[in-house]
Amino acid sequence: MTRKPKTLAMILAGGRVDDLGVLTFHRPKSAIPFGGFTRIIDFSLSNLMNSGLERVAILSQYRSYSLINHIGIGSAWDMIGRYRGISVLPPYIGYGHSQWYRGSSDAVYQNLDFVQYIDPEQLLILSGDHIYQMDYREMISYHREKDADLTMACLKVPMNDAHRFGVADIDDEDGERGGKVLRYSEKSENTESNWASMTVFCFKPEVLYEVLEANIREDASYEFGRDIIPRMMREKRRVFGYKFKGYWGYTGTIEEFWQANMDLLGGDPPIKFADWNIRTNMEHRNIRDCQPVKIGNSAQISESLIYNGCIIEGEVERSILFPGTYVAKGAKVKDSVLLFKNDVGKGAELNKIISDVNTIFGSGVKIGEAGRPDSIGTTVIGWNNFISPNTIIGSGCTVYPSVSSEKIPKKVESGEVVR
Amino acid sequence: MSSPEDTLVLLLAGGVGSRLNVLVKTRAKPSVPFAGLYRIIDFSLSNVMNSGMKKVGVLTQYKPLSLMRHLATGEPWDFTGRSRGVKILPPSTGFMDSDWYKGTADAIRQNLSFIKANPSEEILVLSGDHIYQMDLYAMIEFHRQKNADITVGMMIVPESEIHQFGAGITNDEGRIIEWEEKPRVPRTNLASMGIYVFNTKYLLKLLAEDKEMVDFGIHLIPKAIARDNVFAYPFDGYWRDVGTIQAYWEANMDLLKDDSEISPETWGIRPNPESEQLFADRIPARFAAGSKVSRSMISAGCVIEGEVVNSVLSPGVKVGPGCRVTDSIILHDCVIEEGATVDLTVMDKRVMVGKGAVIGTGDNKDVPNSKYPGHLYTGISLVGKEAEIPPGTTIGRNCIISPWSKQKDFSAKVLRDGETI
Repeated sequence: MTRKPKTLAMILAGGRVDDLGVLTFHRPKSAIPFGGFTRIIDFSLSNLMNSGLERVAILSQYRSYSLINHIGIGSAWDMIGRYRGISVLPPYIGYGHSQWYRGSSDAVYQNLDFVQYIDPEQLLILSGDHIYQMDYREMISYHREKDADLTMACLKVPMNDAHRFGVADIDDEDGERGGKVLRYSEKSENTESNWASMTVFCFKPEVLYEVLEANIREDASYEFGRDIIPRMMREKRRVFGYKFKGYWGYTGTIEEFWQANMDLLGGDPPIKFADWNIRTNMEHRNIRDCQPVKIGNSAQISESLIYNGCIIEGEVERSILFPGTYVAKGAKVKDSVLLFKNDVGKGAELNKIISDVNTIFGSGVKIGEAGRPDSIGTTVIGWNNFISPNTIIGSGCTVYPSVSSEKIPKKVESGEVVR
Repeated sequence: MSSPEDTLVLLLAGGVGSRLNVLVKTRAKPSVPFAGLYRIIDFSLSNVMNSGMKKVGVLTQYKPLSLMRHLATGEPWDFTGRSRGVKILPPSTGFMDSDWYKGTADAIRQNLSFIKANPSEEILVLSGDHIYQMDLYAMIEFHRQKNADITVGMMIVPESEIHQFGAGITNDEGRIIEWEEKPRVPRTNLASMGIYVFNTKYLLKLLAEDKEMVDFGIHLIPKAIARDNVFAYPFDGYWRDVGTIQAYWEANMDLLKDDSEISPETWGIRPNPESEQLFADRIPARFAAGSKVSRSMISAGCVIEGEVVNSVLSPGVKVGPGCRVTDSIILHDCVIEEGATVDLTVMDKRVMVGKGAVIGTGDNKDVPNSKYPGHLYTGISLVGKEAEIPPGTTIGRNCIISPWSKQKDFSAKVLRDGETI
């Protein structure tokens, strides 16, 4: 018996998501900060750690710097050692073979020599873009029990949302646990099932090698959802659906990202943050060196999560504040998510905004409208902005990253984009 | 060219600090938590790091386990790499010497092999007991410029406090011409901060002269000023010896002032959150609907449902609904249940305060603790590590609850001012 791991996990972490706009201008979706101190990919990485799966590769190509920085040497998730580790696999130039990843499955294909070197008994391929807690071991044991070629985790979504996902028709073979996938359709308007694929796949490696080879030889597109799974269905491979019933934050749009953050708040929040055992890289942005939140005389805080390194002198309600954020006296922050190092000036009022790192709101700035947050759009401010004092910005607006402050009008109407 | 790297640092971290009472029952004074998520030694250690020195020996003696776990590999302070390091130097039995450290100078003398194995121009001796920020390299440069044999870091304190310190009288050029250790009658207000720079060769010679000289302040400095070059390096920033419960409480309260002179983060002080050895990272502090917090420091992992005023909370403290915590220092993972009140109290880690309990109550702050009248006499009550306070208990002023007290140890519902469990 050796300590050699039987499972290799590969995280697809390279994508930028158009609908997340300015938040992914400078980083892949997986590196977007979430919940006051973590990054989205911390959820997948912590799930792997908590599942005892510690041989991990990360496939990334879009603006990887922030992600690579975040992963560090992998020690934050205890993934260091002879058989433990996180390998970041960017696209490379090689003999007779040099190109960008042309899709999610091509990213794996281009790294098959890495996979074959590790020679796992099963290959777990998952997206690094989602907020959820899952013990992958249960799914892997189901996969082995069924001697499946592919097992995919699926989650029931509202029927009218099903068209956004790859959807599987799962038979009732094993009731609540899962069953054989009878039909699979990718982002189709007329699906009858609403078991959506969570982009958590467990493959039998030999089968995947064959399918990937055929896909590269015969197809023009290289995505797991669009190409690989339909091909496996056509080839009548053993494809199973594993039914997942917990919380899943897809965070594919600004509103969903905002909502997933809000799901951390309240008396009985859908995300039991403290129980999910999430780790992050505390050295990234040196958050480990932050002092406790300093709260002034006239501060008022309710229903909020605030991490070390913030100074609060004003009012904060139903919001999430990352380290280094300052809320001055008389300022009001409501229903908002302020990523690292925001500075909210005296008397400024922020309603339902997401503000990326390093933004200064001058005194008297007003953003969004007070009222029911679910009925108004989120305003998103890109990083490194200075919003001059007394500027008024509506709801559902977007301000691009690093816009010079004189280019931001004194009044921005709801829904406008400032670039 | 000389640089900070030519200086070897020896950090004295062996002191008992017995006046901190229950806080030093399980740990040495340098590892007592401070400002929520730091420990006292983080201040000295970070000053060393920020001043550019690379090698540090930490001399331990009393209950070193928590300190050793905290220092780990020195990584939090960047003391890792081929030429950097933090080395723990406990007392050891050897062929010739086998003894506990008898004093500051004796501790250094027992580690001559460490000094010789790490060649240096100067030796900087620091205490791990103080809250301050200081550019120690500026002091080394002063020492070099003065061609001094010894330089002592000194600052002006109120005359009424000089009796706690080594006191020096200097001439115009900054040379120390007279020295008195803990003087009963004040003749000066210039106090030693326990920071010394020695020329390495000079120190080795001085230590070899007379093995009965075991303390810097009592033996070495008086002897040296009579014949060698001993200078005072003036310091005028914030510096506190938090060796008493009152001083410890005051320094924590200093953090909360609007124009606070202490700011660990901007000072570049680094904690070591990993020494908590938690499985998951602490999530941001949660402020529930209906909570009320003002003038306080709240660390990650806290859950606040009640009211917190003028207090410092370490990570993971839970303050239930209807609670009121005022003027207090609450260390890691204490749980204060619904409706309990805590006033003017220092509470060690993982204390459970039952529903409706009242800790620190009454106007009579002048009745000192009957067992330790010298430790508690200003009204502050102390609760030791992992004590369990039964629901509905009322505890007065200057009280001490020993660590690991269980509910059954409370024979009465009321603990009067100055009493101890």
